[in-house]
Amino acid sequence: MAVFLQSLISGILIGGVYALIGIGLTLIFGVMRVINFAHGDILMVGMYLTYILFTFAGIDPFVSVLISFPLMFIFGGFLQKVFINRVLNAVAQNQILLTIGLGLIMSNTVMLIFTSDYKIITTSYSSSTFQLGGGVSVSWPLLISFLITSAITAVLYWFLLKTDTGQAIRATAQDREAAQLMGINVKRMSIIAFGLGSALAGTAGALISPTYYIFPQVGSTFTLKAFVITVLGGMGSVVGATLGGVLIGITESMSAAYISSGWKDVVVFSLFLLVLLLKPSGLMGKSRT
Amino acid sequence: MTKTLLKAAAFLAILGGLLALPRFMDSPYALHMMILLFLSVSQGESWNILGGYAGQHSVGHAAYFGVGAYTTMMLMQAKGIAPWIGVWAGVAAVIVVALVIGSICFRLRGPYFVLASIAVAEIMRLSAINLTGLTNGAEGILVTELPAFRIGGRVITDFMTKVPFYYLGLGLALLTLAVTWGVERSKLGYYFQAIREDQDAAHSLGIHISLYKNIGLVISAVLTALAGAFYGVYVGFVDPPTVLGLDLSVQIMLIAIIGGMGTLYGPVLGSLVLVPLSEALRSNMITDLLVKSGLVSADSKVGLFLKENLAHAHVLLYGILVVLVILFMPEGIMGFVKKLASRRRKEAV
Repeated sequence: MAVFLQSLISGILIGGVYALIGIGLTLIFGVMRVINFAHGDILMVGMYLTYILFTFAGIDPFVSVLISFPLMFIFGGFLQKVFINRVLNAVAQNQILLTIGLGLIMSNTVMLIFTSDYKIITTSYSSSTFQLGGGVSVSWPLLISFLITSAITAVLYWFLLKTDTGQAIRATAQDREAAQLMGINVKRMSIIAFGLGSALAGTAGALISPTYYIFPQVGSTFTLKAFVITVLGGMGSVVGATLGGVLIGITESMSAAYISSGWKDVVVFSLFLLVLLLKPSGLMGKSRT
Repeated sequence: MTKTLLKAAAFLAILGGLLALPRFMDSPYALHMMILLFLSVSQGESWNILGGYAGQHSVGHAAYFGVGAYTTMMLMQAKGIAPWIGVWAGVAAVIVVALVIGSICFRLRGPYFVLASIAVAEIMRLSAINLTGLTNGAEGILVTELPAFRIGGRVITDFMTKVPFYYLGLGLALLTLAVTWGVERSKLGYYFQAIREDQDAAHSLGIHISLYKNIGLVISAVLTALAGAFYGVYVGFVDPPTVLGLDLSVQIMLIAIIGGMGTLYGPVLGSLVLVPLSEALRSNMITDLLVKSGLVSADSKVGLFLKENLAHAHVLLYGILVVLVILFMPEGIMGFVKKLASRRRKEAV
């Protein structure tokens, strides 16, 4: 029972970060219908940003979110304006290839600068835990990052539901042409959406940096996970991505506990294929047309 | 008529040159480069049949490459079975794998197909890491001693030099080219292109979509598996990231895309661009050139940095190339050249 509770709690905690990654991808897809294969690499850039801020300026990884969020927003907006914007009407495979190419450039540029050595951020609380009773312990860094992701997700929901820009983004996601006819500047919405998606991925990178190894190729794992999360929740659905993130977090930690940590990703990908086959629109998505 | 004759003559001349080449060129490094080129052509042409002609952009071709390489190497290491026999087990295995993957992935379209193809290849890679009893896990399989190849008791080759690999590679590249040529000219090729251009229209014209997608996949997968087996035997070593990794899937796809998808010679062009470029970076040729030309001194910080790192950065070049190709010549080099040619022709008229 203790093992079960333990994996459930760790699963939910890491699931919060996954949700952030998934929401970013789903926002980008919703507004532009572009699947961002560079999403994990953007997250990796966020990790290195945190690493630089920590090593050279001594800024705590969780505090650095305040700096990396706006920086990653600008980075994402730049990517959209310079590259993605040019392929919005191109065939799907060209969009995919472009983002794969951008991801390769990011990971290999980082490798040129920092080499492919594993970096770690060691904070005073990196491996500290507290006992919850019944043999269940909770890792402090995971708990803090979960609280931050919850706060960010709450603000994001408020932004999307209540503000004018948020509603314009949702309108663009629902029907790009109709939104344009209603006088919404869809080009600007696209830049904001890509910036926001990148900022969320970068933030997720910052939040996991105290507990993960940082290396240039770390992105591809997260890109794949982000796809699994968004497809599970339904492409374009923010609520779905939130649920999908937590669900994948739990699936991972459960299969690591009950099968083996080597097979946990196989379980996740098999689940992904099953969802694609049985309910391709995802848990929260509308049927795709 | 004269044009076809000219084309045939040019092809034969190139082929003759390639056949005679090892007689005049005994540098192992030059032969190695040619072998890499042949391998790249075979990979690109194989992908092109499914991705270029039938329009199913698989980003999981490492799965077939890896199955071919692993089966051949595992049989050789564990049972001592010669690779030219083991490779057929690899082909049989890859047909089964391809049909399973096809039955899952071909229900999906566009981006969903791409995602599923990646997921399947990743499952294969993770399985190869975890099934240590079968595949030796992350350590990979190392087989350096090849049995001599005999016909009727006579030793044809003992694989001590690179020459037999050169001819094997050439044969493989020619095989994939021949298959592509055959597909392009047959009914099959027209079905593929109809599916690529408009799946629903093709379906309403009575083309059995999933049947022909699966045929395309099996042809493509078998050829890719042959290339995988060739790679494994030539290098003598396979491990999960090099023969089953996502990077490999992307590289295979790039060969065709940079050259020009859905064209017979596109992947050849793509290989002619990619192989020398990435090899120049990998072997530090560019750094050496910069040093020799006096632009960078060998002992300076920049020189040392380049020497240390540029060799690992050939993938960066892939990234830059893809972005440039997609933005500026989305039809690949082939399409770009054709466009230029037609523009010139118009101007001439």
